[in-house]
Amino acid sequence: MSKYILRRALGLIPTMFIIVTICFFFIRVAPGGPFSSEKKLPPQILQNIQKKYNMDKPLMIQYVKYLTDVARGDLGPSYKYKDYDVNFFIKESLPKSMLLGALALLLAVILGIGTGMISSLRQNSFWDYLSMSVAVIGISVPLFVIAPVFMYIFAMKLQWLPVAGWLDDGGVKMLILPVVSLSAPYFATVARLSRASFLESLRSDYIRTAKAKGLKTSVIMFKHVLKGASLPVVSYLGPAFSGIITGSIVIEQIFRIPGLGRHFVQSAFNRDYTMIMGTVIVYSLILVIMNFLVDVLYGYLDPRISYK
Amino acid sequence: METTVNNELNQHVKGVSLWQDAWRRLRKNKMAMFGLYTIIFYAVISLSAPILPIYSYKQQVLGHQFLRPSFKPAGQLIYEKKSKFLHAMAAKEGRTELTAKENQELADLKESLATEKKKLLSGEEVLVNNRVYILGTDSLGRDLLSRIIYGGQVSIMIGLIGALASMLIGVVLGALSGYIGGRFDTLMMRFVDIMYSLPYILLVIIFMAIFGRNIANLFFALAIVSWLTVARVVRGQVLSLKNSEFIEAARSSGAGTARIVFRHLIPNTSGVIIVYTTLRVPAFIMLEAFLSFLGLGVQAPFASWGVLIQDGVYAMTTYPWLLWFPAAAMTLFLFSMNFLGDGLRDALDPQSKNKL
Repeated sequence: MSKYILRRALGLIPTMFIIVTICFFFIRVAPGGPFSSEKKLPPQILQNIQKKYNMDKPLMIQYVKYLTDVARGDLGPSYKYKDYDVNFFIKESLPKSMLLGALALLLAVILGIGTGMISSLRQNSFWDYLSMSVAVIGISVPLFVIAPVFMYIFAMKLQWLPVAGWLDDGGVKMLILPVVSLSAPYFATVARLSRASFLESLRSDYIRTAKAKGLKTSVIMFKHVLKGASLPVVSYLGPAFSGIITGSIVIEQIFRIPGLGRHFVQSAFNRDYTMIMGTVIVYSLILVIMNFLVDVLYGYLDPRISYK
Repeated sequence: METTVNNELNQHVKGVSLWQDAWRRLRKNKMAMFGLYTIIFYAVISLSAPILPIYSYKQQVLGHQFLRPSFKPAGQLIYEKKSKFLHAMAAKEGRTELTAKENQELADLKESLATEKKKLLSGEEVLVNNRVYILGTDSLGRDLLSRIIYGGQVSIMIGLIGALASMLIGVVLGALSGYIGGRFDTLMMRFVDIMYSLPYILLVIIFMAIFGRNIANLFFALAIVSWLTVARVVRGQVLSLKNSEFIEAARSSGAGTARIVFRHLIPNTSGVIIVYTTLRVPAFIMLEAFLSFLGLGVQAPFASWGVLIQDGVYAMTTYPWLLWFPAAAMTLFLFSMNFLGDGLRDALDPQSKNKL
């Protein structure tokens, strides 16, 4: 097992290497440089600027330098905000996005499994139909429709919650709407997945044995069904992570949260290339590590998987 | 050609092809049929948009900004607004009647609204205030109904072209990879694995940011990242069909690789391909809307549902219909597409029922 984990962990390095490489060359073929939008600069100044950003050296040397810098955790200076490093922006905004995403995912998984469990126990009941209809809506309606609708109803009409902003503007209340909207599509999918797999394992022989022994429903559900039935949910976590990342970009835009997603969109507009690259690298790193953790968790939960 | 066969009791037996069988099953699925009819409705509206009696989607009418949805003509709405405002002012000052000057003002307004003419983009002059905006107007005085229809055209087209392009690339590469096998297959699947681990939406955003925001780039960016799943699925299908007898028969009668792949293998995977394409269309529409919502997609004067929803979000505090109608139009279409896709999957592959 530990050998498998180690090998999968080492497998992350080439993936990250490829991502960094794609980003680097993608951006070098792009038209325009850091200050090409400004008025014509005297050649001497242009040369100095190019020197500062290492753009006077041959491409391969720039590439090797960028790779070693990234490996040391230095993402370089921002093209747009001249006195700031990309690291500065990321350090400032990443925790906010991580908090948002982690809470949304947690909410989606806990609520989704709970809903799926109750639905499967009371199959074809009113509750079952209600929650599964809500789930279909959650899957089909895009996030950037759900979030404004929630905002309109709960913040503008009912005025229960603040409209937009982050913790320093109004405390924990600020988190509710963004987290709930971000988790909605994933809640819906987890609920549907877990309902189906709960139904399947409720019909299996070992559950019938457990029932025949006279175990309480709660013991059967939490001790026997949950472990087997959580496999599809765990394997869905990988796609869910990448969905949460793209979703958080939209949510941060709508609720005006100063997170990594807003920096990313802003830098795409500004053509702040080092910032774009830095953000994509950070996002990819999170995604790749999360997928790795999901694989390990999956292997732990399902003994049938062999580590070869 | 229909062949007639008799069974052992000498009763007439009609052969049922895969497609007839699937259609029969699909017709029983109410949600899928609802989806199918809705999609046909959208398709008819989008295709006939140029001949429908709707206003131009890019004609900006001065004075018609943010008119609420109504069956009354625009002039009357403007008049009512002014009159309501004057009455409110009067009530504030404690009067019940309007002054003569204010009445005159209203009468003048009515007069000018009734006669005001405006030149259209087509060069024709019309009485603009007779226009009826069923779904209201946006911040530049453009008809929302027409913008939703033309925006739908763009969104649906992007969904269709994206899905078809990804299908074409994916099917050809997947089928070849599965059939040829060996080193080619290993290489292809390694490549797909690596691409899978990339956050492709982020790559699309970078692509759009660098190479400019226009529809052609959008198509390109979407097509290069989206064929992976199709390729994987088709490869799996081909692998399971590759050693079947009819392929053996084709090979022994001297058919080459290309003929076997394109004449025998791909047609036999068409069920899976159709289901995947149907389910890809809403995914593409969502992706385009996501990009447009961030401002990285379709640019003015064109609209797409994503652009309209973005406009709606910014205006929703005071003019909520600008969000409701585009969001409803898009959501209904996505719903229908998803229902149809699910229904097709159940119809073409009954074993997969109840799977996600």
